[in-house]
Amino acid sequence: MEKEEHKDKNPLQENRRHFFSQLSVGIGSLALGSLLIPDLFKGSETIQTQQALGLPHFAPKAKRVIYLFQAGAPSQLESFDYKPTLIKRMGEDLPESIRNGQRLTGMTSGQDKFPLMPPKIGFNQYGDSRTWVSDFFPHIAKIADEITVVKSMHTEAINHDPAITFFQTGSQISGRPSMGSWLSYGLGSENKNLPSFVVLTSRGKGNSQGLYSKLWSSGFLDSKHQGVLLRSGKDPVLYLNDPDGLSRSDKRHLLDHVSSLNKLHHVETGDDEIESRIAQYEMAYRMQMSVPDVMDISKEPESIIQLYGEECQVPGTYAANALQARRLAENGVRFIQLYHQGWDQHGNLHNEMAGQAKDVDQASAALVLDLKQRGMLDDTLVIWGGEFGRGNYAQGKFDLNNYGRDHHPRAFSIWMAGGGIKPGLNYGKTDEFGYNVIENPVHINDFHATLMHALGLDHEQLTYKYQGRRFRLTDVAGNVIKDLLA
Amino acid sequence: MDHGILALTVFLLFCLLLESHIRLPFWLAWVGKWHPMVLHFPIVLLLLMVLLGLTNQRMAPVLVQFTVLATLVTAISGFFLAVGNGEKGDLLFWHQYGGSLLALLAGLWYVLFQYGLHQKGYAKGVLAVIMVLTFTTGHFGASITHGEDFLALPRNPEKKELPENPKIYAHVVHPILETNCIPCHNPNKKKGGLLMTSLEGLLKGGEKGNTLVPGNVEESELLRRLHLPKTDEEHMPPDGKKPLEASEIAILERWIALGALDTLTLAQLGPEEPLTNLVKALMAPQESEQWKELPLVADSTLQRLASDYLTIQRLANHSNALTITAFSPPIYDPSPITALQAIAQNVVALDLSNLPLGAQEIDFVAQCTPLQRLDLDGTPITSATLGKLAHLEELQFLRLHGTSLDDGALSHLAQFKNLKKLYVWNTGIKQSALREFKEKNAGIEIEDGIQDSLESFFRKSDTLGLKQNGAP
Repeated sequence: MEKEEHKDKNPLQENRRHFFSQLSVGIGSLALGSLLIPDLFKGSETIQTQQALGLPHFAPKAKRVIYLFQAGAPSQLESFDYKPTLIKRMGEDLPESIRNGQRLTGMTSGQDKFPLMPPKIGFNQYGDSRTWVSDFFPHIAKIADEITVVKSMHTEAINHDPAITFFQTGSQISGRPSMGSWLSYGLGSENKNLPSFVVLTSRGKGNSQGLYSKLWSSGFLDSKHQGVLLRSGKDPVLYLNDPDGLSRSDKRHLLDHVSSLNKLHHVETGDDEIESRIAQYEMAYRMQMSVPDVMDISKEPESIIQLYGEECQVPGTYAANALQARRLAENGVRFIQLYHQGWDQHGNLHNEMAGQAKDVDQASAALVLDLKQRGMLDDTLVIWGGEFGRGNYAQGKFDLNNYGRDHHPRAFSIWMAGGGIKPGLNYGKTDEFGYNVIENPVHINDFHATLMHALGLDHEQLTYKYQGRRFRLTDVAGNVIKDLLA
Repeated sequence: MDHGILALTVFLLFCLLLESHIRLPFWLAWVGKWHPMVLHFPIVLLLLMVLLGLTNQRMAPVLVQFTVLATLVTAISGFFLAVGNGEKGDLLFWHQYGGSLLALLAGLWYVLFQYGLHQKGYAKGVLAVIMVLTFTTGHFGASITHGEDFLALPRNPEKKELPENPKIYAHVVHPILETNCIPCHNPNKKKGGLLMTSLEGLLKGGEKGNTLVPGNVEESELLRRLHLPKTDEEHMPPDGKKPLEASEIAILERWIALGALDTLTLAQLGPEEPLTNLVKALMAPQESEQWKELPLVADSTLQRLASDYLTIQRLANHSNALTITAFSPPIYDPSPITALQAIAQNVVALDLSNLPLGAQEIDFVAQCTPLQRLDLDGTPITSATLGKLAHLEELQFLRLHGTSLDDGALSHLAQFKNLKKLYVWNTGIKQSALREFKEKNAGIEIEDGIQDSLESFFRKSDTLGLKQNGAP
């Protein structure tokens, strides 16, 4: 038999053909086996899950954000969180069981009494959602069914700077990229002729706190993600316009020459920063055309002017910025950050807040309505709120005619509209004193995670490696609040 | 050896006859646990014996002896397992008697073999019966352990589409139980005495009672076990089985909290009820599914076609669905837009707002068949050119405000099959015609500007003194 013949052969005496035929069987079966391991040749897990930048991780509901930041922290007790108990028990000392050791700022830590302070302003319920809105905000009351009020926001900081830095960057300590920069980094720009992150500021007559450019800084991200402050008046972006006597074609020649020099340098060094610099020069050149165009509201019809309020024709007002925000949104700006200063009512709260509310009420509501009629509310997320809340006890003396409220981080209200957020919802609850969250708390990290989710980003996936570790906007915390999402 | 066979045969017959009186000591119940392992030996041995016997091969007596012994041991251990497990389903009944009969037939054949009669026709008949019984009994047993459809042909795990207004129990809760629980809690295999195939079974509960207490989440054993840490003995599904998704647990929890009714439907839930969202999430078509048929498009193509004033983006990572936005350049040129023809089959959203579009751009739009969202507000589109787009069947969202469209546009708009949202304020369309259109097309949500009452409220509260320039 054939078998017998092979028996005496030295096993090492293989011929080449035999060796290859056996090898091919071996490799063939390896290949067959590998079919059962789909990811065998795709590298490790981490590489696989890494997302391309400039694209959402999943189909987004919102494409852009307009954040109407009320700097200084408007009182939730005079706006959206109605607490009749404060009226019933006015003047009584805040029970220790409610305060529960909450730390205080230097402004009230010396007080030996914390008399419960009711709002002087009246409240009513509006819309099918029966949302409570104070009489300071008659226009926002009209859009009660478009907005979702979150009454259970809470933060850790009790002073303006750390609190606002926390809200904008996800950390109380400065140096991290702003939320708008993270989105620009994650989603890229929609319109290459405008920055993807724009900041507009205005100031009310109320007691205000400073604003600083670190709030819209790109931190350790590429500087092209930095927020660009558009100023009111004829020079919206500083140093954007050419000096007198330089024509646009001269400028073009100049840029072309600079660019060719830069390209030479890039070939020599291979430094990617040079390329991004070239791109920024080009963008600035295009912005010379696009910015004046987008800032020019003269073509807005009278009906729109009336909607936002006549004040929107006065550059630098909140109303003007709100209208501007809509125009920027139409032009593909991803993150439009408004700041309105003057909400820090430590005293004379009723009168100051009346003025502040008058500044923002109509224009904020108008913005929502205007976006809605343009079919943009579906993919634009509008957010209105401050950096923390205000205490339920009087700062200083108990005097209904001239009272103030100190900072309060444990519970405050914001509202959101459009952009994948369920409309007409009242989310979260505070206790009867309006002091502690008792239902569905939303931490700043949760807020960031939810906002990113609406924009199609997984807050755990969008990271940037810096100084040896990966950073996220939500750092190591944050849960998407699914109940808020439509 | 022969004595052993005889002893075990007698013992098996004894057990079968007096089954209802038997109370097992715990260590014998433990012997029963070996049944699923031991049973593989007799299957192989029996089939080998049948094969050798039918082909008249020589057979060592010891092989036949081993076969018979293994079959008997397996039948007896199986019997212990069944007794230890309480109630018996149909499958178990047939499995038990099939297995016992198999052991007895094997014994019979061994007797024939010993007397040298094993090559006779009737001996071969016995072998054939043994073979058939081995297969059927084995199959019954496997069905008990692995579920009745363990041999069903592989199916794509496609989710069944839910009806418009799904019944929460029948369409949502039951399928979750079916995948995760029912393989062990069915009429054939009532683990813990619990039957989960019907609502009655759930309400009746298992040995420990209170599986499901309508309206009481805390008291419901089912939820308590689902919520236990995975390492806990009592966690369900047990170790080694896939645990339920958080959303699945949430669905069960809300359903029980709401009274565990089998009549409850989605439409009866309020918008704030968390269950509404959970069920809707199940109903929503996966975006990736929706557009998986689109042709592949390369990044290089997108880079080539995009420009400073034309943004092309994938809807999400790895998606071939594209959204395109054009911005107004200092000098308008239609060629970048018409060049997009190459990717027309991928465009799902197209924003051409406020551009001075001509006929060729509209022709390009007409080619974008997957289009779901189209923005043509502020463009010079006319009622006649709108007709060119009426065949876009997927179109759901259409912005036409700020155009000079007139009543003639409405007849074209009525042709869009899937249109859901339409923006037509600030156009030449008359209120009366639009009202009539609304009545006929109730499925379309029409935005015709801010309500007059609202507008006048906003107008009234102006303080700077009105400058009436007349409406634009």
